[in-house]
Amino acid sequence: MALNGQRRLERRWGWLMAVPAILGFVIFTAGPMVASLVLSLTDWQIGGTPAFVGAGNYTELADDELFWKSLSATTYYTLGAVPVALIVAFAVAMLLNQKVRGLPVWRTIFYLPTLVPAIANVVLWIWIFNPDFGLLNSLLRQGGLPAGMWIYDENMAVPSLIVMSTWGFGNTMVIFLAGLQGVPQHLYEAVSVDGGGPWHRFRHVTVPMMTPTIFYNLVVGVIGTFQVFNQAYVMTEGGPNNATLFYVYYLFRKAFRESEMGYASALAWVLFMIIVLVTFLLFRNARRWVYYEMAGAR
Amino acid sequence: MRRRQLLALSGLAALAAACGDEGSPNDVQLQFMYWGSTFEQKAVEKMLKSFEDSHAGAKVKALFTPDEYDVKLNTLVASGNVPDVGYVPMAMSYRLAEQGKLVNLFPYLTKYPQLAGYLSDAYLWYGRDQLHGVATANEIELLWYSKSAIKDAGIAPPPAEAGKAWTWDQLVSNAYRLTIDQNGKHPDESGFDPKQVRQFGISSSITYAAAWYGFLRSNGADFADEGGTRCLLDAPEAIEVFQNLQDLIYKHRVAPGPGQLAATGDDVPGTNILLKTKRVAMVVDGHWSLLDMNESKVDYGIGVLPKYDKPFTTSQVAGASAVFAGSKHVEKAVELFAFHLDPRYVDLYKLGLWMPQERKYYEDQAAIDSWTKNDSHPPEFRTAVVDYARDHGVPDLRVRLKNLQAINSDVLTPALQEIETGKRPAAEVLKEAAPKITSRMQGWHHKQKV
Amino acid sequence: MRGRVLLYLALIAGAVPTLVPFVWLVRSALMQDSQMFIAPPEWIPDPFQWSNFTQALTAQPFGRYFLNTVVIAVISVLGTVLTCSIAAFSFSRLRWRGRNVVFAVLLSGVMLPYAVTLIPTFVMWQELGALNTIAPLTVPSWFAGAGGGVLNVFLLRQFFLTIPFELDEAAYIDGASPWRVFWMVVMPLSKPALIVVTIFTFIGTWNDFLGPLLYLNDEEKYTLSIGLASFQSIYITQWGYLMAASAAVIAPIIALFFFLQRYFIEGVTLTGIKN
Repeated sequence: MALNGQRRLERRWGWLMAVPAILGFVIFTAGPMVASLVLSLTDWQIGGTPAFVGAGNYTELADDELFWKSLSATTYYTLGAVPVALIVAFAVAMLLNQKVRGLPVWRTIFYLPTLVPAIANVVLWIWIFNPDFGLLNSLLRQGGLPAGMWIYDENMAVPSLIVMSTWGFGNTMVIFLAGLQGVPQHLYEAVSVDGGGPWHRFRHVTVPMMTPTIFYNLVVGVIGTFQVFNQAYVMTEGGPNNATLFYVYYLFRKAFRESEMGYASALAWVLFMIIVLVTFLLFRNARRWVYYEMAGAR
Repeated sequence: MRRRQLLALSGLAALAAACGDEGSPNDVQLQFMYWGSTFEQKAVEKMLKSFEDSHAGAKVKALFTPDEYDVKLNTLVASGNVPDVGYVPMAMSYRLAEQGKLVNLFPYLTKYPQLAGYLSDAYLWYGRDQLHGVATANEIELLWYSKSAIKDAGIAPPPAEAGKAWTWDQLVSNAYRLTIDQNGKHPDESGFDPKQVRQFGISSSITYAAAWYGFLRSNGADFADEGGTRCLLDAPEAIEVFQNLQDLIYKHRVAPGPGQLAATGDDVPGTNILLKTKRVAMVVDGHWSLLDMNESKVDYGIGVLPKYDKPFTTSQVAGASAVFAGSKHVEKAVELFAFHLDPRYVDLYKLGLWMPQERKYYEDQAAIDSWTKNDSHPPEFRTAVVDYARDHGVPDLRVRLKNLQAINSDVLTPALQEIETGKRPAAEVLKEAAPKITSRMQGWHHKQKV
Repeated sequence: MRGRVLLYLALIAGAVPTLVPFVWLVRSALMQDSQMFIAPPEWIPDPFQWSNFTQALTAQPFGRYFLNTVVIAVISVLGTVLTCSIAAFSFSRLRWRGRNVVFAVLLSGVMLPYAVTLIPTFVMWQELGALNTIAPLTVPSWFAGAGGGVLNVFLLRQFFLTIPFELDEAAYIDGASPWRVFWMVVMPLSKPALIVVTIFTFIGTWNDFLGPLLYLNDEEKYTLSIGLASFQSIYITQWGYLMAASAAVIAPIIALFFFLQRYFIEGVTLTGIKN
């Protein structure tokens, strides 16, 4: 009886408390999304009149060399950047969750790269990567090692940008740090009582208890990285020879440099479908490894 | 609401707005949209103020948009909120004109004689008797050099007169003298270490079209044929130009490789810094660098570009300025348009960022003095820039070739990057790229005498 | 003991590369442009160009921009934290039909590149008569961060899901309403996550450039990020000023992080509850 009452409460309040979010979606997000979907079926140059072309943009996409190129560059980048970011951020979060002197200072230091404005950061990295005058090659030459062309080499460009992206681990790290606060102490104590060392504590308590946060960072990392834009936009302009022609950068170029908004919308919806699919697979797969306190939350 | 949204998207809202009633003539409110640094911002604000002072009843609201200009302008166009007068990125201006979003200034040429007095290359035509604007400033490509680097090498400085311009071979041999590794050796000496170059002789961008277009023309080549429908970059003369540029880096080793940081003026750290720190002794870059040179007190000199046959430099390397259709006060907007390009009211000419578009500032001595006789302009400016621009300028591709934005980003830039990275010889790359470019070509823009 | 030494060594080893961008920014802020790009790099400004700061910060009305930015950031943070946690509570701890579908639909909003929704969104705000106001920059945050902010709902949901459900059950048995459970049980236990949302939202609004640029037309309404962008243009970049102003602009958010990170203290949430 009491349980039924609780269920009824949950149902009623569930909808009620979701109302702001649903309204927000309906008012601010759904309209523009639908508009872009409709536009993706038209040939629309900004300023002109849209002409309905059906699936024309989508069939055109299939023959667009640069579409495929940008899709593969982005996938390559995502496969590299997401795991690297997760591992680095998790390791740093573990480190910054220890009891050390000056913890606030350490934490702030490790978060700093995230706070440095993008333009300053980009200038720094252009200069680090510069083959002739750059920091990286000066260091390598001093060490007698072969210098590289970094972002100016077709094969090195994406890996170089992945390395650069590693400095942006701060936000992921902060989420892990917050997550670590939720790992119940008594579980650690239980492992210790059973004679388990630090590795056991990490493997059997920290990791399982952190799976919801790991999962979050994985999903958000994938969603965000598929839409990677900034480095291509301000650093490489998609070069050299389209090696870093990231998908959203290509889309942006179509949308605002060439004002081909119809085609850009089609590009966007293809990426949307890809991200939806990948996210769906991640959520489905999550049932196997993400641990929630609350059963039925999956 | 979705219906209204789509209506607005289709630009009908803009039309509706354009049909609105005119305000009273005593109360003229204009909007002027522009980009620029804080430096330019001050000069533009001052210009707008003097416009208000000299045009009773006119008020101008500035819409300062320091970055992402094309995103904002596209959004304003799509939503029917365009300003009255403003800068327009060259890639957008022709399209907006063809869509009827920009006022055809042709009828105003007779009414405002000042508008008829610009350099002929400055006019942006989109059809017969259809004029949508003027390049905001004239800019040309020059050979900047560090005086002390030249002196240390014991060579004559790059000539400041087009008639005496270096040949390409002279440029190369001088660049050899100016290139020094950490041990003081030149590239033609044994033991030269190309990995430890202290000072490069020259930097000239391969990917920035304005930097090489003058060379192309000087060698008797061009980007496209007369009809503007066939790309000629695979012609032997064109290949030679690009091969020479590639050779500067990989064969002669007198130029830094890609990422040379001085190509277009918005790269890091800028020509002024390269010359001041003597990382590079000579740099091909636009006239606008003058402001930076003076600001950072570089010991610089200005030379004309080396030549193949006839000396040429690329001119009109700037964005467009235009009057937007839908302005409720077109006459006043046209007046503001003329005003914002007038060296009498804009400090940016005297300070060395802009060159005038009015022909008299290149021909009439008093007019020339009015913008060049000051501390910002060195003595050689007259021959190396004023005369050079007037007699040897060929307009930038951006003001002439249709569909250049797509050509550039889809084919040309990636191809030029291949040349720049030295993986393949210019001939191979260009022979592959030319037909692809041809397939995207839509002809030259219309051109006519005023 | 050896463990402690290793720990500090690891911290130092990590701090060196993470400090490089920041140190580079600060030293650049104090340098003349010509020294900034010397190779090999110099780390000590010579001379110290303190005037970069005074010049940069007076080149634009940064005081006004600061206030404008604070107003937008504070309104956005309050709205996001409050409404996103309400929504996250519903999506994690209340069971109702269609919950997961609704959640998935909400989440899909961040999967479409903004470049193609930007113009329709702009037109929508125009229809609402809200151009040149801060409404487009703040109002969505009060609807569970509609747009990119919806990730906060997801984040909080993940955190809420790690809190033992027995706590809710117990409260319901005592006759509590879901709101009470949310406010008295879940929220107090979620401080670290709420701090994360606060930090992210604050920094996000602080650095947002495109939003203010698109929606604001009067210079007196501009924000810090627009002020920063004005040191860079197509023809010239005033590097010293740009770096100095950047350093000044991020100082408040560094301080904010420094003060808020103390909420990441082990065990604040659950110690004692299960025992």
